[in-house]
Amino acid sequence: MPSATESSSPPKEAVEQYRPNLMNQSPAEFMRPTTRTRGTSNAKTNGVGVQVEDTRICVVMVGLPARGKSLIAQKVVRYLGWLSITAKCFNVGNYRRTATPQPNAAFFDTSNKEGERLRKAAAEAAVADMVKWFKKPDNLIAILDATNSTKARRRWIKERCDAEGIESLFVESKCDDEDIIMSNILEVKTTSPDYQGQDPEEAAKDFRERIKMYERVYETLDEDEADMTYCKIIDVGAQVIINRIQDYLQSRVVYYLMNLHIKPRSIWISRHGESMYNLSGQIGGDADLSTRGEMYAKALPDLVKQSAGDLPLTVWTSTLKRTAQTARYLPYEKLSWKALDELDSGVCDGLTYAEIAQNYPEDFKARDDDKYNYRYLGGESYRDVVIRLEPIIMELERSENILIVTHQAVLRCIYAYFMGSPQDKSPWMEVPLHTLIKLTPRAYKTEEERMFANIPAVSTFREKGSKAQHQETEESTRRNSPMISGEAKA
Amino acid sequence: MDTLLTADVAAKSLNFRRRSSTYVDAIHDLPEKESMAPAQLYSTESGRLFHSGRIVIATVGLPARGKTHTSVALARYLRWLGVKTHIFHLGDYRRAFVGAKGEVPDDYFHVNASTSSVLLRNKILKKCREDILNFLNHENGQIAIYDAVNPLAGGRRALAKEFEKHNVQTMFIESTCTDERIIEENVRSVKISSPDYIGWKPEDAVQDYLKRINARIPHYETVEESDLHYVKMINAGERVVVNNCAFGYLSQRIVFYLLNLHIKSRQTYFCRAGTTRDEENYKGDASLSAEGQDYARKMSEALIAHRESEHQNLIKQGAPESSALKPLTIWTSTRKRTVETASYLENKGYRVRQRSQMSQLNPGVCEKLSERRIRELFPDEVAKHEQDPYHHRYPRAESYHDLAVRLEPIILELEREQNDLLIIAHESVLRVLYGYLMACSAHDIPNLEFPRDEIIEIIPASYNNSAKRIHISDLPSRLVPGSPEDIKIPVPPSGTISPLSGMGTPAGTGTATPETSGREAGLLPLRGNISTRP
Repeated sequence: MPSATESSSPPKEAVEQYRPNLMNQSPAEFMRPTTRTRGTSNAKTNGVGVQVEDTRICVVMVGLPARGKSLIAQKVVRYLGWLSITAKCFNVGNYRRTATPQPNAAFFDTSNKEGERLRKAAAEAAVADMVKWFKKPDNLIAILDATNSTKARRRWIKERCDAEGIESLFVESKCDDEDIIMSNILEVKTTSPDYQGQDPEEAAKDFRERIKMYERVYETLDEDEADMTYCKIIDVGAQVIINRIQDYLQSRVVYYLMNLHIKPRSIWISRHGESMYNLSGQIGGDADLSTRGEMYAKALPDLVKQSAGDLPLTVWTSTLKRTAQTARYLPYEKLSWKALDELDSGVCDGLTYAEIAQNYPEDFKARDDDKYNYRYLGGESYRDVVIRLEPIIMELERSENILIVTHQAVLRCIYAYFMGSPQDKSPWMEVPLHTLIKLTPRAYKTEEERMFANIPAVSTFREKGSKAQHQETEESTRRNSPMISGEAKA
Repeated sequence: MDTLLTADVAAKSLNFRRRSSTYVDAIHDLPEKESMAPAQLYSTESGRLFHSGRIVIATVGLPARGKTHTSVALARYLRWLGVKTHIFHLGDYRRAFVGAKGEVPDDYFHVNASTSSVLLRNKILKKCREDILNFLNHENGQIAIYDAVNPLAGGRRALAKEFEKHNVQTMFIESTCTDERIIEENVRSVKISSPDYIGWKPEDAVQDYLKRINARIPHYETVEESDLHYVKMINAGERVVVNNCAFGYLSQRIVFYLLNLHIKSRQTYFCRAGTTRDEENYKGDASLSAEGQDYARKMSEALIAHRESEHQNLIKQGAPESSALKPLTIWTSTRKRTVETASYLENKGYRVRQRSQMSQLNPGVCEKLSERRIRELFPDEVAKHEQDPYHHRYPRAESYHDLAVRLEPIILELEREQNDLLIIAHESVLRVLYGYLMACSAHDIPNLEFPRDEIIEIIPASYNNSAKRIHISDLPSRLVPGSPEDIKIPVPPSGTISPLSGMGTPAGTGTATPETSGREAGLLPLRGNISTRP
């Protein structure tokens, strides 16, 4: 009779015969798994512990209301999505609202049995949906946004995750700074769906009552939860406790969390001024500015000043001539980054779209079909550009006011990071020349403002399927482009 | 005695400082001249990076807690990022003062030590701190790693205060273990190889060593000073407490790195991809030729045989019969030639991962051109390139620096990986990764050579890594030295890398080991440069 212990470890041959399928792979995977071993085997190990490829992580937010949990959750989703790691936020409040759209503070009293039951039901529904969502092989990181304020609730979530083979990473935001809590209450919670249409003063008062209800039962992550993977952020990073990080992807999430700050700031982005290549309709290259491009460079300091006033700024450019020339009259400190160089178009560098359509008809079509993943022969794809922009984004998160002068494709990628634009849309976004874009990150979405220098330029925008020459369109420099709207709160 | 010079310290302490050589892990060398580091993104006027100011990283922890391992790994990463970093091991200073054979007094680490011990202790500390401040104040150093026990809260406060006077931040990194097994394992692997323990049973040696530590350092206070910047790593990073460290880009970066560090040792192997059908083409993605397939098979067999014989050696040296070989994982780029080179091993059941960041250096305009032709077409570029082959970029090409920056995620995963690792990639990628593991200077990296008939093995150790070559026999000779698919970017003949090995000889004594002995012993990982090619 076989003993029970034998059946718990996979047979030796099965381990040795494990072979990933390497064929179905996107051209430029970053942290994305190459293969997944889902379904039948549930084999998370290769005899040597957890493999990066096999990880699915549930990031569980922990903390009292008004501690910035939703802000953190949204930023992580946007950051991961931008890196092509499919992430989704499950907000327990949204589930609860379907039953009780606008409860008052008494609903959150733990002695209110009905309230307690409804809130537990909402958590269960959210976790059940999350588990269902994880069945799809590409879905990697879920964020469970709720207070999860008791040890019992957290243990329950961990056990649910363990049973499904999902790693859990608890992220607690613990903060006692009255100023931060108050500004959170005012800016975020008075616009919450729970208080829509109510008097803001009353809403804030009720909300503070609600926080008190939670404070009575709140238990912070501590020693007797040492078996869990967690990251506890105390007073916006004054102290961070990181427990049992299991893989690179988790460390990446924690590193990102540690770099976030919540000071108000803006980022300005602009393309370089019109270049000689823009005039001739060629792509790529390292051309000088045209006369009109030079005019834009001269107009830029005033345009920036109108928008930024006397704020301290740092200017970042690429290493190509046209961005340095565009930025040269700006009276700020400047840094040039190779990572901000334009998408490398490989063999097509220096050609016009018409020439590409003629010489590489198949490539031209392939690019239209999937512009985000299409990699020019010997060059780069949008996905490749995102990979090399990653350190820039981390540095941007750490910095305050930055003005970036860069190129069309790179600008689209940075814009997509802040606005959460989907990959099938972001490469097609129209960004006219001689336009300054101001992005201001707010709690639930990024605000955008566009300023036009009113200096004519060719349009370099090419619609899907078209091989249009770069056209002289007066209005393209004046009108608002079809913006891709930023995401709203889930 | 007070005027003891650093040179004397170097001469008396075997590992303190070495001559520059690419065969030896250069992590303890002070770079001799200013040049940008492998992955440095930009340089500032002061030579310091990221506007993060100057930092002393002071280790805290009893012996055998992995302090030296952490210091060395961190220095390797920071230097690679372009942060001018140097490690100051207090133990090296102590040994230099009392001589190689000498012993410090028994009460040297005691709180109530005798006057003479206190004097000696203060003298050693003073010298070490003077060197640290000199490095930060006068040599454009940005991070000094002060590797010492730093056992008492009072001493740590005083240290932070002293550096504060010089406008230098102090960040403490404590290594502590609540799990006895980790400590014992650590003692077994690094501490009891000393002559004192020859002939001892390992368990007895471990216990004796721990007893001696406890007697010598009876007072130890864990870091809990909330006003200080500190990172506490508990049980080899299982739990990390980060206190008050959000003061700059570098401090956060350091924590990120520490989250990926583990102290288990494993081997890394580097080898080239096989040759392809379309030799000269960078942009085309050709499959392996028949010859390339043959190479893949021979390389794989050589590696398997080598690992097996190493394993047998271990068993001969007393490892238990049952101890298994560490599993081997293979990383390739997404280029067909590297993927196909790995497929022989993949068919044997080894795990293969493709990493897009590991594609080769983009040659830009130099593609398909011979060196002679490049010199004709771009004489100015060649001249610039010879000035700085690491950072110069031919038109539309990538520089080695660009390559290093894009390889950063690979470096971190390399630290995290617990299996043995075979990396099959283009020579340009191998150069940069080898440069990281062996702390080569940006100047040397473009000149490193990876002949196709050799697998390079990097053997880790806490104080420094070492490299070894594994020969692949029976390869057609024309495959070996050249690299037909290579980018023929001309590199200047360099006098700095001599094919003679420095082999860890301390500066000053200067006796070079003859070439042949190194070769036979497998201790010469790399040949010199292009000028030594037949």
